[in-house]
Amino acid sequence: MSEHNHEHHVATAKQLWLIGGGLFVLTILTVVVSNLGLPSPFDIISALVIAFGKAYLVAAFFMGLYWDTKFNSLLLIGALVFFILMVTVTLLDTMYRQDVVPSF
Amino acid sequence: MANHSASHPAHVQHHFVDSDQQFESAKMGMWVFLVNEILFFGGLFCAYIVFRAWYPELFTQAALELNKLWGGVNTIVLIGSSLTVAMAIRSAQKNQIKGLRINLLITIALACVFMVIKYFEYEHKLHLGIAPGSFWNPTPEILEELSHPKANIFFGIYYMMTGVHGLHVLVGIGLMIWLYIRAGKGHFSSEYYTPVEITGLYWHLVDLIWIFLFPLLYLIE
Amino acid sequence: MAAAQSKNMTTLQVKRFKPSENPTNTYLTDEKGVWAWMTTVDHKKIGLMYLVAVAFFFALAGFLAIALRTELWTPAKTFIEADTYNQLFTLHGAMMVFFVLVPSIPAALGNFVLPMQLGAKDVAFPRLNLASFYIYVIGAVFTFISLANNGFDTGWTFYTPYSSDTNSLGVIWVTLGVFILGFSSILTGTNFITTIHKLRAPGITWDKLPLNIWALYATSVIQVLATPVLAITILLLSMENILDIGIFDPAKGGDPVLYQHFFWFYSHPAVYIMIVPGFGIISEVITTFSKKHIFGYWAIALSSLAIAFIGFLVWGHHMFTSGQSAVATTVFSFLTFLVGIPTGIKILNWVATLYKGSIEMKTPMLYVFIFLFLFTIGGFTGIMLGALSVDIHLHDTYYVVAHFHYVMMGGTLMALLAGLHYWWPKMTGKMYNETLGKISAVLIFIGFNMTFLPQFVMGAQGMPRRYYNYIDQFQPFHQTSTIGSYILGAAFLIILYYLVRSLFGGEKASANPWNSRGLEWQATSPPDFHNFDHTPVVINGPYDYHKPMEEFQLGLAVEHNGHGHGEHHEVKTDQTEKA
Ligand code: HEM
Ligand SMILES: [Cu+2]
Repeated sequence: MSEHNHEHHVATAKQLWLIGGGLFVLTILTVVVSNLGLPSPFDIISALVIAFGKAYLVAAFFMGLYWDTKFNSLLLIGALVFFILMVTVTLLDTMYRQDVVPSF
Repeated sequence: MANHSASHPAHVQHHFVDSDQQFESAKMGMWVFLVNEILFFGGLFCAYIVFRAWYPELFTQAALELNKLWGGVNTIVLIGSSLTVAMAIRSAQKNQIKGLRINLLITIALACVFMVIKYFEYEHKLHLGIAPGSFWNPTPEILEELSHPKANIFFGIYYMMTGVHGLHVLVGIGLMIWLYIRAGKGHFSSEYYTPVEITGLYWHLVDLIWIFLFPLLYLIE
Repeated sequence: MAAAQSKNMTTLQVKRFKPSENPTNTYLTDEKGVWAWMTTVDHKKIGLMYLVAVAFFFALAGFLAIALRTELWTPAKTFIEADTYNQLFTLHGAMMVFFVLVPSIPAALGNFVLPMQLGAKDVAFPRLNLASFYIYVIGAVFTFISLANNGFDTGWTFYTPYSSDTNSLGVIWVTLGVFILGFSSILTGTNFITTIHKLRAPGITWDKLPLNIWALYATSVIQVLATPVLAITILLLSMENILDIGIFDPAKGGDPVLYQHFFWFYSHPAVYIMIVPGFGIISEVITTFSKKHIFGYWAIALSSLAIAFIGFLVWGHHMFTSGQSAVATTVFSFLTFLVGIPTGIKILNWVATLYKGSIEMKTPMLYVFIFLFLFTIGGFTGIMLGALSVDIHLHDTYYVVAHFHYVMMGGTLMALLAGLHYWWPKMTGKMYNETLGKISAVLIFIGFNMTFLPQFVMGAQGMPRRYYNYIDQFQPFHQTSTIGSYILGAAFLIILYYLVRSLFGGEKASANPWNSRGLEWQATSPPDFHNFDHTPVVINGPYDYHKPMEEFQLGLAVEHNGHGHGEHHEVKTDQTEKA
């Protein structure tokens, strides 16, 4: 084997269980927070913050990006960036229409 | 393996130099594919955002028809299956083929649980006439709660999002069964577990999508 | 023999491998029979199969175009009904875009040359490559089923509510077909990105990548990011038809303009999926036939990526009159102008490459000149259309039709023809007839301008597109256009004739008939099943025409295990031999 054969990272069972537990707790948390009935923007913000937190745990540790080459993380981030571009530019139209078209 | 040189074992396809290159390529290919997946679902999320921004009250009202408890249970189930997939990969890396197979089995079981719960959720809604598109025919009591004139659109989006996601779960189940069979035939080892690794990545993405679907669909107050 | 040093100073032992002029065993003789072809995972054969499929659809859609132009000979009915006319232009557009232009350069020519230019044995996922071809075929089958079920007459853009109200089975089938087709494009893109990252031969660092590879890379990035959005859009549209879910259809409470956003989020980037690989070919051909280093390597390489990026932000310029908000319209108009910058950079760099080169006017080069001329017109008129106030007048007129034919046919197709002639000897091992090649190129140039120049004029005067009837004042323009299209048709028949003839009676091609420095030319013609029978090692840039040919024919002197080891090309041998 070539000297390049860097060992694949093997996560310990404890690490994995910890992440799983964290995700579990965050799921409960997001339900609890949603039941608090926060006022308008904060309900969505809190839900999304928790969701992104969970997503980070999954991507970084379950999917192994934390130990992986940076390029694979770049791919994930790139996908998100283009998604956000798509949404914001579309909203630039839909939020500023003189007459919301669906109402005619 | 006997007729291959040590640096070119049987599982390495002829156009790769070594196992490592093949593994890294497969993994990167899968990530590129996941980029696809994200933008594929991205279209649905975009439709969701546009309509939610237009009709916030519709979303608050319609979400009441979704069952938070079962949505939450399904989230836990799916997270659990992500954990077991990660454990399956770990087993493969440690050459514990038995552990690999057990973890795959649990994952398949959890995925099935997810689908069964989903089935009952759909069933319940269809029963009340909360059906997609031209089948939209809610009972009078439901119509009172769902008074918004565009309620059908929320459920159009709901069915598309969860439906496409559900299809991904089914595909995942299929892949996992295939892995299970191959593992039984002794195809995988700590030297070669590429299919397990990349199916795992796929499965985690299915989980990731759900992590967003759950609060966005079910948890609107 | 020579010694090559890679960046991190480990030494590779290399020697010269001169390609044989009389290869005994090539990829064409390796496996024979229909079944072997149909199940092959060889990127070269898959490329050829794509080429044949693309040529087939091009002939079909081209035939429809001739029929359409014939119908337009007179202001009223000439020989087909209005409904048929609507179906034919829709089919023409949809086929040309989805079945011809999108896969043409990447999947046909790109598949063939990409691994060779990287010195790899194949693409990273050969089986996916074959799958992508069959997915393409299945998509095509769906389209034909649609034709058998009333067909579709919505225009290639499938705008709602028209496409959701006509409620024809035909629309459902064709949209599912396009949905499936998208996956073929996605798989090609995924494959190419991974291959470029992971399978480069020793010495091919990012600054030694041929510009064709840079272009295919940018294209793949667009394919991967944009095509899934088309897929979901088309899926939603199918569901709109099958289930009436009501996201796009205003009658159900949906928003038709949202459909246009989704559609153009893919389809504007898709025009770059079509043109950017063409840019790659132009860079290869122009250097080979000027015998000169490319001017502005990095400018050309990075402008492809810039185009790919900016291309995602301009889609709204197709929707200026759709009722989208004034804010969005203004922003889109401004961003559209930005695309002109990287495109202009490319054109100027190519022209600068020609300066003081020793230009050889072979057929591929002729097509490059035609490309430069036609594409520049197409690009300029695009910028004009991007100007908000001008577009309100010109939108949905023949001016737009002329614009996109100048870029798609004058740009992409001319680049495709350049590439086809350029790589023909490599792909088939045969030379085509140079005289006929030049004659048909000139005919194409004449026919093309005759067909589409009048369309700019009548468009500006208000002739709407997709109309079956027109007022008498436009007849001279339409007739000129129709005659032009016949000339074009004839030219393509000549090309078909001499290319097919070259297969059977053509002069045998040498390994490197154009004296190119490109790596793909250092294999035999046609190449070996594994492209090279050694591991190529690259020490010079692909356009270093000032360096001797020997330096481009190096390979590992000691074969250890195989080819292509892109990311890590340091090799352990430290015996150095002097030349
Ligand atoms: C400098 C770059 C370009 C600019 C600024 C540009 C701009 C535009 C604009 C503003 C329109 C909309 C016209 C209207 O419908 O009113 C348009 C239409 C179009 N462009 Fe371009 N364009 C450019 C390059 C290209 C290229 C390279 C291609 C394809 C290879 C292309 C293909 C098309 C097509 C197919 C349409 C018509 C779509 C339809 O409505 O059917 N364009 N272009
Ligand atoms: Cu455009």
